[in-house]
Amino acid sequence: MNKSIIAGCFLIASFGSCKKDFLELPPQSFISSATFYKTQEDFAQAINGTYAALRSLYSDAYVMGEMRSDNTHYIFKATDRGGQNVQREQIADFLDDASNAFIANKWTSSYNIIARANQILAQIDAASFDNTAKNNIRGQALFLRAFSYYELVQYFGDVPLHLVPTQGVEDAALAKTAKAGVYTQIIADAKEAATLLPLKSVQEKGRVSSGTAKTLLGYVYMTLKQYGDAATVLKEITGSNQYTLLTDYAAVFALNNKNSSESVFEVQYIQGSLGLQSNFAYLFIPGLTNTTPITGVVGNNQIIGGWNTPTRDLINSYEANDKRKDASIAYYTDAGGVTYPYVKKYLHTHANYNNTDDNWPVYRYSDVLLLLAEALNEQNKSSEALAPLNLVRKRAGLTDVTTTSQTELRDIISKERRLELAFENHRWLDLVRTGKAIEVMTAYGAKVKANPQAYYYPAGSAPLTQSYNVTQTRLLFPIPDREIILNPLLK
Amino acid sequence: MKMMSTIERGVATSGYVTWLPQRPVFFLLFLFLFSSLSILAQTQQVSGVITDQTGKPLTGASVIIKGSQQGTNTNEQGRFTINAPANATLVISSIGFNSQEVPVKGQNAVNVQMGVSTQALGEVVVVSYGTQTKRNITGAVQTLNAKELADIPVAQVTQKLQGKLAGVQINQGTGRPGEGMQLRIRGQASINAQGQPLYVVDGFPIVGDISTINPDEIESISVLKDAASTSLYGSRAAFGVVLIQTKRGKTGQTNLSVNAYYGVQQVPEKGRPQMMNAREFAQFQKERYEFNAQAVPAEYQNPSQYGEGTNWYDILLRTAPIQNYSISMNSSRDRFSNAATVSFFDQQGVVLNSGYQRFSARLNTEYRFTDKLKLGLNIAPMYTINNGPVTTDGVLWSGGIIMSAILTSPIAPHINPDGSLPLTAGGTGLFPNPNWYRTVQEVEAKTKTFRVLSNASLDYEFIKDLNFRTTINIDLGQSQFSRFSPSTTGAIFAPPPQKATAQANNSNYHSWLSENTLTYKKVFGDHNFDGLVGYTVQKFRSDALSISKTDFPDDRIRTITAGATTTASTSDIQEWSLLSYLARLNYNFKGRYILSAAIRRDGSSRFGTNNKWGNFPSISAGWIVSDESFMSQIKALSFLKLRASYGLVGNNNIGNYPYYASVNAANYAFNGVLANGRSLTSLANLDLGWERTKQVDLGVDIGLFSNRITLGYDYYSKNTDGLLYSVAIPSEAGFNSVLTNLGQFKFWGHEFTVSTQNLVNKFRWNTDFNISFNDNKVMKLGNTNAPIYGNTNTTITRLGGRIGEFWGFDYLGVYQNQADVDKSAKYATSAVGTAKLRDVNGDGVITNTNDDKTIIGNPWPKFLLGITNSFAYKNFDLSIVASGSYGNKIMNRTLESTLNLDGVFNVLKDVNNRWKSQQQPGNGLPSVKSGTTDLIRYPNTYWVSDGSYLTIKNIALGYNVPLRNKKYFHNVRIYGSIQQALVLTNYSGANPEVSGGSNPQSNTSGGDALNQGIDWTAYPVPRTFTVGVNFGL
Repeated sequence: MNKSIIAGCFLIASFGSCKKDFLELPPQSFISSATFYKTQEDFAQAINGTYAALRSLYSDAYVMGEMRSDNTHYIFKATDRGGQNVQREQIADFLDDASNAFIANKWTSSYNIIARANQILAQIDAASFDNTAKNNIRGQALFLRAFSYYELVQYFGDVPLHLVPTQGVEDAALAKTAKAGVYTQIIADAKEAATLLPLKSVQEKGRVSSGTAKTLLGYVYMTLKQYGDAATVLKEITGSNQYTLLTDYAAVFALNNKNSSESVFEVQYIQGSLGLQSNFAYLFIPGLTNTTPITGVVGNNQIIGGWNTPTRDLINSYEANDKRKDASIAYYTDAGGVTYPYVKKYLHTHANYNNTDDNWPVYRYSDVLLLLAEALNEQNKSSEALAPLNLVRKRAGLTDVTTTSQTELRDIISKERRLELAFENHRWLDLVRTGKAIEVMTAYGAKVKANPQAYYYPAGSAPLTQSYNVTQTRLLFPIPDREIILNPLLK
Repeated sequence: MKMMSTIERGVATSGYVTWLPQRPVFFLLFLFLFSSLSILAQTQQVSGVITDQTGKPLTGASVIIKGSQQGTNTNEQGRFTINAPANATLVISSIGFNSQEVPVKGQNAVNVQMGVSTQALGEVVVVSYGTQTKRNITGAVQTLNAKELADIPVAQVTQKLQGKLAGVQINQGTGRPGEGMQLRIRGQASINAQGQPLYVVDGFPIVGDISTINPDEIESISVLKDAASTSLYGSRAAFGVVLIQTKRGKTGQTNLSVNAYYGVQQVPEKGRPQMMNAREFAQFQKERYEFNAQAVPAEYQNPSQYGEGTNWYDILLRTAPIQNYSISMNSSRDRFSNAATVSFFDQQGVVLNSGYQRFSARLNTEYRFTDKLKLGLNIAPMYTINNGPVTTDGVLWSGGIIMSAILTSPIAPHINPDGSLPLTAGGTGLFPNPNWYRTVQEVEAKTKTFRVLSNASLDYEFIKDLNFRTTINIDLGQSQFSRFSPSTTGAIFAPPPQKATAQANNSNYHSWLSENTLTYKKVFGDHNFDGLVGYTVQKFRSDALSISKTDFPDDRIRTITAGATTTASTSDIQEWSLLSYLARLNYNFKGRYILSAAIRRDGSSRFGTNNKWGNFPSISAGWIVSDESFMSQIKALSFLKLRASYGLVGNNNIGNYPYYASVNAANYAFNGVLANGRSLTSLANLDLGWERTKQVDLGVDIGLFSNRITLGYDYYSKNTDGLLYSVAIPSEAGFNSVLTNLGQFKFWGHEFTVSTQNLVNKFRWNTDFNISFNDNKVMKLGNTNAPIYGNTNTTITRLGGRIGEFWGFDYLGVYQNQADVDKSAKYATSAVGTAKLRDVNGDGVITNTNDDKTIIGNPWPKFLLGITNSFAYKNFDLSIVASGSYGNKIMNRTLESTLNLDGVFNVLKDVNNRWKSQQQPGNGLPSVKSGTTDLIRYPNTYWVSDGSYLTIKNIALGYNVPLRNKKYFHNVRIYGSIQQALVLTNYSGANPEVSGGSNPQSNTSGGDALNQGIDWTAYPVPRTFTVGVNFGL
């Protein structure tokens, strides 16, 4: 009897399982695109995921944004010539080439944001949910796409313009769009974002608002030297009653002032084990076997530290009473008696090594004010420019500027931007935008070469002779070689 | 022992037949209405003696009345007695002899002399879905049986196969106990998938490889190489198929055997890295500081104060035992046969705190209800404990302890003079390191795996030669990993004290398979047909859970429960299913002209909606030329067969959900609060289909001088089309790659085997030799033929080249003087004494880009060879197995660190021969000039060397103890063996058997074709001295 049951079971097991859907086994550990991008919650998650890509864009942004300029240098590691070090140094020294991983990260991270935004923009219209929520998400996606293209066009010039999601191999590689065309798209997106997005006061804290989109527009117009348009849109921000300067400069970066009334756009981080922490403080302090004296937390940052070190040039350009100096820079003297300055804007109380809570300020209200001052001055409205300029100076504990000479004011505003926004990745692009990059960086390079030890080279080391050959081509970065191999249209 | 064997025999010869229950049989016969129950005619007593070819009585031979279940066995005098109908036919069989059928014809005495079945070509070989005589095989199949693999005391059967198989590359990349090894059959490689063949145990394609299967359970191994042999495994057969048959009860035999061995493992001196000792290291540091006009730190000012210092490689090692005990029992009586094996294997590792233990058992049984109906049940549970440091192999930045340790300062002690153990091992200007002696011993890491393989089968013969077989097979596994790293341990760059961390992983899987086949045999005169149709269903599921924690209050409670903070917790579910139809037709005319055709149709959950099903046909033919009359004059030629086959097989080894566009977590925070986010992380490809390999095989088998010399030759050519791989796309698309079927590889090769019986008399000497030449070429890559860079730009796979060739700088030595610098192409930091590279693109400038890189080595061997020599004289036997590889290059990536000139690591003694001045130009290594040393840290020709080797894998000397009285033991054999006896190679690294790792920065076997031949340091492969004994009862 039992044998026949066994026999029967065999047959049932064999034939009973061949249902039609036997070969359909959808994944259970991740969602597939076929079931995503449908509901309001899906799009809410998708837009958060788009912001998430900002984190990798900003992890290295200081290399091309700040270390490339005369604001910061690096502490030369004579004993660690690994690629991750050499490539950062090469960007600072104007020796970078197309194989540079940091340049590749700028390209890849920017296009990641664009691709995620494109997915939302292509599919959100087909979903049906509350229109206000939909417009808000659309606005954020449009802003993030425009913002990323603005990064790309400033650092690389002509770039391929992807506005719809890639389907596969066939549509992955596009020809470059000339700068002007990229800017046209950025302006269109940013304008639409500015109308779709709510004001900061009603937007969830940390998300972009209409003011953020207008700041981006202001930047774009400044870059295109459309000063009138810039002033108009920047005035909309100052007139919106959404933003004020905090009274204390140092407090701007304090952890309890994240997304404060001065904040226009910040990349958000939280410390802890969620993987959402920042670590800028540990990159920017000198490499130490034990970081406790600076950060209060035990750890060894010899491998990762020693970058974005403030230069003497920058330190010396603060006026005597400038409160921003001590709020931005601190000093560490090593056992050998050598003193190194370091950036302290991103160093606040935290619990674990290499795991900080600090956000990265992308746009601040003082930035908007200085940009407005610059826009007005460039339109020969020097006296009108003084008001926003002096608001920023006053907060820094400095006396008002009174000159109305356009030329003098141009230099003053430039210096003010350098100090107010030091270590916030504006300096290099400001130099390029204002046409000062070659002049300033050539002079700076001569100083570094003349006295390497003052620029944190140990005895016996010096920058290479070929360094700081700042030519017109160096105002842009090379498109990464991987991209050119895979898309010959980028040559 | 004595009692046991007596009881065993008693049962065997007397009550066994009647003891078995009759009722179930009756039921079944009734139910299936296919009764062949013969109406019992008048019976008579028949008795007789069964003898062997020399006339000696055969004990335990089986005597069965044909068409019934009644039977008996001969006793020790070879005598049997049975009640049989007068018209009955007796079937007499015994292992090693051709079975005979003898009609009773009313006689009372039947005496039979049996003939030995020594005809090698009559040997039955396990093939896909069945067996086949060697003579009739038309594909490329190589078979090894247990006897040929005896006396090699190793943990896994793959090690035993080294040197034995033509056209199969088997490298032991790591000596880590319990680590699997890779078989690369006929050079087959893919980009996305690892090159493992499909392992089929007793007809069941199992999960993973066979490293956990106890070699003592294995009866035979068939390696199927060409498409005609493998096409019945369709979409999984592209990398070849390895069929394992486990031991089962043999007709008419009852025996018990006990095997035991014990051995000692040691790491040979040759191949250990020659790092600087403390004195040399201090001298090097002193010179380096002086060269760069820097003050010499106190620690290095007086090198002569130091001696040898700490040899960080040696202190991680020990001499370790290896042992194995196994008991096997098998018997086959009448309707019931069984084979059981129970084993315990224990290998302590030669690296401290590592080891592997395996408890395994297997029970294979078969019950024959009638001649027409039989039931088989096999069950094989096994339990393994793998203990050891988490990461021994691999590069320092992925945590490889061995590589990290050798870079540590030899001045730093691992034990203080007072006997205490320091926490760290640092030095002035060096990266901080833990004391590796502590880390390797104090980190607790253990993987416990439980696995059960089981099959049940039912065979029924509807009518003569029409057989239905249905099987159900289950592979169950459960694995538990736990690790605790106390605060006293650390990693390179992260010395203790560290917060203690712990991790616990749990995973389980099951795979079930149901197979149903119908076979039919028919002979029409000279025409012999046999056919097979089948339907199979297989499904797999795994569930995994992992949790990591930190913030332990101290090192006392070591389970994750004590950790305050969870640093990671993940879970994963994987599933696949496969539905298949298969058919095969074999035909031969006069046993001389042989034709075979087969097809499998596979449907898989892994592939896109547009490509769910695939067909995998094959056809093959053979001609036994030596059977032709016109060949009879050639006396020397005893056998000649020509073979040809063509077929199509597939590769589905690409993960379970490749065609889905996955949406994964991409979390963000707004104002200090977690915001769940998601983003699309891959592109969908609904057209995704199989990777298809078309293969042609042409072969010839020759036997000379009554088969004293047998020769085999095969030529094959394979075309892998629709290569499944992630085609790199420009990242402007928002993705770096998309999985497609765009690509084509070509593989071809020649295989030769020679087996000779050199001496056949008192002193016997046999030689088995094989050699194979394999090569490959890239025919197409993606839509743009963009090359694929593997292993962080260390290998290139490009159109017209080979798969995974080494890619890097051509290192020319150093700039000897200023004139040399002036006239040569330069890098940014070039100066006298720095590395000089070839200006590949000829633009006068050296750049660290692909422009100045070139192909700098071919990791694929020109040929592989294996030789086994076996000798026997009286009771002694000796076998020597060697395997080798010729013409392949190895890139020693360890040199990136062990030749580091920045003074942050300990370095090879060789570094003393670097360029020091124009008067002391050294042997080609550049100077320590600060800021100029980065270029030679990228792959270059200096790291590439010849990887040819010939290794004496095993020498085994055995002695069969002559037994005066075989009453208690049939045989007693003792043997001694040396595994990994001698490695002949010019390669300067630890082990020339470098194989590509699944982890691109580890040697651990995995078979990724883009990582072939790259040495990242590995757990050393020890030399093992063993003594063993086998008792047969």
